[in-house]
Amino acid sequence: MTTARASDREGPTDAAEVEALIPVLRRVVRARVGSHPQAEDLVQETLARVLAARERIEPGMLEPYAIATARNVVASLWRQGDRAVRNAHRLFDPGRPDGADDVVIATEQTAAVGRALAQLSEDERRLLLAHEVTGQDTRSLAEAADSTAGAVAARLKRIRARLRVEYLLALDDVEPPSDRCRAVLVALSGADRRRQDELDTERHLLECPLCARLSEPLVERGPVRSDEAHVPIAEAADIVTARHRARELAARAGFDGVDLTLIATAVSEMARNIVRFADNGEVSVRLLDRPRRGIRVIVRDTGPGIPDVDRALQDGYSTDEGLGLGLPGARRLMDEFLVESSQGNGTTVKMTKWIKRG
Amino acid sequence: MNTGPALVSILRQGSTLVASIHTALNDTEMVRFQQDLIRQIGEHRARGVIIDVAALDVLDSFASRTLRAVAEMARLRGASTVVVGIQPEVAYAMVELGTGGDALTTALDLEDGLALLADLGQSGPARG
Repeated sequence: MTTARASDREGPTDAAEVEALIPVLRRVVRARVGSHPQAEDLVQETLARVLAARERIEPGMLEPYAIATARNVVASLWRQGDRAVRNAHRLFDPGRPDGADDVVIATEQTAAVGRALAQLSEDERRLLLAHEVTGQDTRSLAEAADSTAGAVAARLKRIRARLRVEYLLALDDVEPPSDRCRAVLVALSGADRRRQDELDTERHLLECPLCARLSEPLVERGPVRSDEAHVPIAEAADIVTARHRARELAARAGFDGVDLTLIATAVSEMARNIVRFADNGEVSVRLLDRPRRGIRVIVRDTGPGIPDVDRALQDGYSTDEGLGLGLPGARRLMDEFLVESSQGNGTTVKMTKWIKRG
Repeated sequence: MNTGPALVSILRQGSTLVASIHTALNDTEMVRFQQDLIRQIGEHRARGVIIDVAALDVLDSFASRTLRAVAEMARLRGASTVVVGIQPEVAYAMVELGTGGDALTTALDLEDGLALLADLGQSGPARG
């Protein structure tokens, strides 16, 4: 190539001279690539190279230099094409690309968090963000609010519980059908047992399909409790599962052999009522510590309800022929027995057995 | 349908069928057991049936009713039924529940059950 330096010349090649090359270069490029979609790009690429090198180009040599450059650029396009074909297989990415739906989901989730936050009060939002985002500890937050660290922590826990519920509602873009729904979901989200009992959340979940669905992630994140069991009852096989679980728990509480059988039998009777009369229900078993050690079995269904509970509890109404409900029998097996039922609203049977002293 | 270990076994000893229930049966399984047993009484020309429920921790009203129905059907097919092995807790629960009625012939264990069937056979109609 040329070894002369630009400073030896009378002046650098003028930009206008380079521009004047355009028609020549177009001819050269078109002659080689025809109406290739990149033809104009190649011309521009050539011009860029010529401009970059113009300091080193001897006067009068501009046009030959540009034409040689254009040939090189075209050649490198072909080489690139060959290389692309040769290496095409390397472009295969076995990893799953970010699907369009992933992006959409992420966007929806972000939006849902925003809407959930908007449901909190200004004060709650500020407290939550100060703690979670800014990282301020509960003690300093308590000082600022003239409160105690424990109270602030409890408040944060409640706010988080509500935020989770609002997030799920926002994500699903639903408004719960009744006033109770929100309260039930918040109690579940906060793993607040006392409040759950007050609201009878379990019955609500049986009756409200929306809350039953939304509560799944809320309940899952709660601690797994070893002193209670929930068995959904829909078919005959579930009866056996329910009485096994009840028996297991009762054995752990310290009931003796006879009581274990009595409890299991009572559970079996009541669970069978669900299968026979209601199709859908649940047996929940919980160990009790106060006032004594014991076990409480709550059997809920969404069936037609018992028209006359008092009569159903009398012997004789319940027969062995499969017409009765087995309520009086089960009542004799347990220490406490309570039936709540109203027509059309299902039945709840609460039965308790205490461990005998001595 | 059922790929696990057998829930029930029905063995023949002479003219007696010994049916053992090995584990808690759900209602569907209980009904299938009932049908199998009644069918086998005919196949084996059985004169006596022993149902061993020693493995069961619960005999609720449905199970008791099914056992009584089996005994009744067996009687109509010409066989006597003895239920053996009812556990003491289960007996207690059955009485409390009100399903401990007298319709079932029972014996303490298999040995007593076989002896009882032999007595029934002798005092009953002439054996074939």
